[in-house]
Amino acid sequence: MIEIKRLDKRYSDGNHALKGISFDIDKRLTTVIGRNGAGKTTLMRILSTQLLQSSGTVRIDGLDNITEAKEIRKRIVSIPQEASPIGYLTPMEHLKMYLCARGMSLGDSTIEASRALKELELWHARDTPSDMLSGGMKRKIFVAMALAANADTIFLDEPTTGLDPLSRIEVWSAIKMLRGNIVLTTHYMEEAAELSEDVIMVESGKVLARGTVGSLLKRFKGMARAETSSKNAKSKYVIGNTRITYIKLSEAEKYAKEGYVIKPITLDDLFIMQGVDIES
Amino acid sequence: MNLKFIGTFTWYYGIRSIKRGPSYIISSILYPLVFLFLITIFSAGKYIDYAVIGGFISIVSMNAIYSGSDMAFQRLQLRTQDLFVATGIGPADYMLAMGLSYLASSLPGLAVYAVIGILLGIFGIASTLAFIVLLLAVLLGTMAISFTIFGFIKHVRNIWGIAGIVSILLTVLPPTFYPYTILPKALLYVFMISPITSVAMLAQGAFGLAPMAYYAIPVLIIEIIIFSLIGIKLMRWREK
Repeated sequence: MIEIKRLDKRYSDGNHALKGISFDIDKRLTTVIGRNGAGKTTLMRILSTQLLQSSGTVRIDGLDNITEAKEIRKRIVSIPQEASPIGYLTPMEHLKMYLCARGMSLGDSTIEASRALKELELWHARDTPSDMLSGGMKRKIFVAMALAANADTIFLDEPTTGLDPLSRIEVWSAIKMLRGNIVLTTHYMEEAAELSEDVIMVESGKVLARGTVGSLLKRFKGMARAETSSKNAKSKYVIGNTRITYIKLSEAEKYAKEGYVIKPITLDDLFIMQGVDIES
Repeated sequence: MNLKFIGTFTWYYGIRSIKRGPSYIISSILYPLVFLFLITIFSAGKYIDYAVIGGFISIVSMNAIYSGSDMAFQRLQLRTQDLFVATGIGPADYMLAMGLSYLASSLPGLAVYAVIGILLGIFGIASTLAFIVLLLAVLLGTMAISFTIFGFIKHVRNIWGIAGIVSILLTVLPPTFYPYTILPKALLYVFMISPITSVAMLAQGAFGLAPMAYYAIPVLIIEIIIFSLIGIKLMRWREK
């Protein structure tokens, strides 16, 4: 259970990354979704005791993130955004080093690392220097660290950013194998839809909406998105050269004949409807 | 202190990496060997002992400088530091693990110099023991100064350029390859800001190449303590 109360973070350069947000996290897999600069990474770094907040409180399993950080670190695993393995080292070496850093004995770390590498199908590459592995496999090394650590809470900051679609699916299936509660950030809407029970949408340091994917998309029931690049089209939402209108499914054929591209509703549409940095 | 982590990190990153990245080892050996060659040629063999002693100091200190730059790279590019912050290890564990890894990388170079030193007959028992202590001191001192400097770096693009500048300023300019006695006193005192200068002075004294500069001992100890404290402070382990 993670309790966040009036959490605020202002960096020394004046960037106000989190603006007094409050919520609890108690689901098996929670996704914090938002665009670049929304405050996701700042939130994750505070939760995983890497960064101190300006004000507000965070409690993880009842432990305060400032005064009881050492205790929290025994219970969590945090995989940073854009983390890369050290090129010289193999997956097995990464895992053993990481588990030893967490206080595990060398013997236990070998057992746990082997188990995790087998479970995530990295066993065949266990002794390959990681700079020779694919992007997906490199990212899976970090998921394997989380798996081997058997932590109660796992923070994954944008675990699939920059990966090709197949590698992303590979990492998603690895994430699903993790034990413990997972808090994951992403700016991929389909990732949140694929993985999570609970979605928290953040923008400009504030929580915009929260719920299951189904409940968040409830308002779009029976609707579709119609897009056009025609400048003459009447649209409520404009992103770059694309004009977007939300229509009833029954009107889809009519709009298609007028040259609109009809698309199904996704979590992207929640951001568009919120008017996030969009000329409307 | 997490000795298991320090040990595994040093074993994997320092020792096992040697055979995976031999070009780095060769480049760190080659640099002082070139100085050894040039000094021997220009001094007609007169300063060859200085060049050998300086070679040892140069290899250890250069690797210590690169341990600081690598740490900055791991913090800014690989995000390794963030990964470790949430494990419970402290900045001193990580610094020591990194420093020892680079000391391990120095071993092939030190072995080459040991062979040259033995062939030239420059090692006595007392001077060698004193020199081992001095090499450990130069490792600690240079690591500390390196972590201090690289603690300020905020962008990956600056790391390797600054590492090059720092290694030239700290390992070539000070009297590592030449007698400290030929430097004007004022300049020597300026160079003593770097612990490498104090170690070079003491090493030249220990091998009887120059008068023993006992005043360099307290200077060296104070420098190691001060730079270590600043280095740990500036490491921004848990950021504010």
